[in-house]
Amino acid sequence: MTRKKHMISPVKIWRRQKEIRKLLGQKGMILTWTIIYTPGSEFKKYAPFPVAMVKLESGEKLTAPLVDYEKKDLKTGKKVKVILRKVREGDREDVLVYGIKLKPI
Amino acid sequence: MISIIDYYTTQFGELWDKSLSDLIEEALKGVLKNSQLDKKQIDAIFFGNMLAGVLENNLHAPSKIAEILGVNIPIFRVEAACASGGIAFHLAKNYLDANPNKTILVIGAEKMTDYSPEETTSALASAASGEEQEAGLTFPGLYAMMANYYLEKYKYNEEHLAYVSFKNHFHGTLNDKAHFRRKISVEQVLKSPYIAYPLKVLDSSPISDGASVVVLTNNQVLVKKNKNQVKVLASEVATDTLSLNKRKNIDEILATKLAADKAFAISRIKRKDIKTAEVHDCFSIAEILAMEDLGFWKKGEGGQMIKKLSTMYGKNGDLIVNTSGGLKASGHPVGATGIKQIGEIYLQLTNQATNRQVKNAKFGLAHNVGGSGGTAVVTILGT
Repeated sequence: MTRKKHMISPVKIWRRQKEIRKLLGQKGMILTWTIIYTPGSEFKKYAPFPVAMVKLESGEKLTAPLVDYEKKDLKTGKKVKVILRKVREGDREDVLVYGIKLKPI
Repeated sequence: MISIIDYYTTQFGELWDKSLSDLIEEALKGVLKNSQLDKKQIDAIFFGNMLAGVLENNLHAPSKIAEILGVNIPIFRVEAACASGGIAFHLAKNYLDANPNKTILVIGAEKMTDYSPEETTSALASAASGEEQEAGLTFPGLYAMMANYYLEKYKYNEEHLAYVSFKNHFHGTLNDKAHFRRKISVEQVLKSPYIAYPLKVLDSSPISDGASVVVLTNNQVLVKKNKNQVKVLASEVATDTLSLNKRKNIDEILATKLAADKAFAISRIKRKDIKTAEVHDCFSIAEILAMEDLGFWKKGEGGQMIKKLSTMYGKNGDLIVNTSGGLKASGHPVGATGIKQIGEIYLQLTNQATNRQVKNAKFGLAHNVGGSGGTAVVTILGT
């Protein structure tokens, strides 16, 4: 069976951007992390990639992929910053999806 | 009083020659034949299934079941991710609490192996929060974050986790319906490739096909006629946040704790009375957390307790866990799992568990979890 491809909805992205804006630049600390070796279809080309759960200085918790990291950064307590990165791409005609990722500081 | 009077399960595994409908048909007709019930004696059906809508574009399963069985009775489909089966059972029990003298089939079924691992992984991730999906997290990934946290907090390592798979694969060799029927060693688990660090292939339950069904009734004439029957002493549900990062503690599944406490209170059964349990071991870490959150082990002790293997069949422990092989070895057709767990306890309490029969078991418990712990259902059965 061929799978139906859905267009990435610009409306959904627009809705989410409003939330993302508030998080950008915030700093936090890694609470726990993993490395995804077997991802879902949309993330296959990025694997393996680390994902971390962090506690921000605001007290809020957040889960996002870690980028620009070295192996030693994968540890509890590591300080990170919330940055804007491309998170997904669809077909050529789709909008590019930007979202939250984490960068060690 | 509500009783289970029969159980049937298909083989679990990669069943390429069977569709979801074939599995449902085999299970329903199988249980009717076993129990010598006519379909006219069935008053309603509850059906647990998670993925047919996402993977196969098939919804409105109740009508399909009516077509398969040739009936016009009320049929309900229930979805709660991997707890779909357990929740279907809970709702069926509530239906009987409200309706005297009725007999119900509770079936769980799932067809998962027609798709690539990425497609099935994505479909399963539909039970995670939007933020978690956007982060590329998978179910192994969510449990891996719990595992990583747990191992660090309580100073255990991956070897401790491996003992869960070692035990459950041994149990799988004793269950002819299990997906995997071969022993694996702790070393093999440790050498298997990572799926989501620190969880490896052999820490993880497989993608399986299968269907399981129980007959649930409060018709006392039927109960008396049937020598193999067990009573439903409690079936309790609790929920929690969908997102793992919205929870206060990530080394516990709060929904399990809440459902278990309610189930033990209502059934008036003590934890030490439970001789056999099926717990939700979708990943090795999940069985350790389950044993702690159900109150069988103290928080943080799970790593050392599992290494002692007291819950393994043949070790003469007070509580034997996952005699079916658990999700790990018996397989995990998600909608079917919750019913298979209850079915396994039914077999144990009615002395039909053959070569894996736990001795003198009067009370048993089944524990089914949806997602990363957003839903939990605990069922206590007794003779």
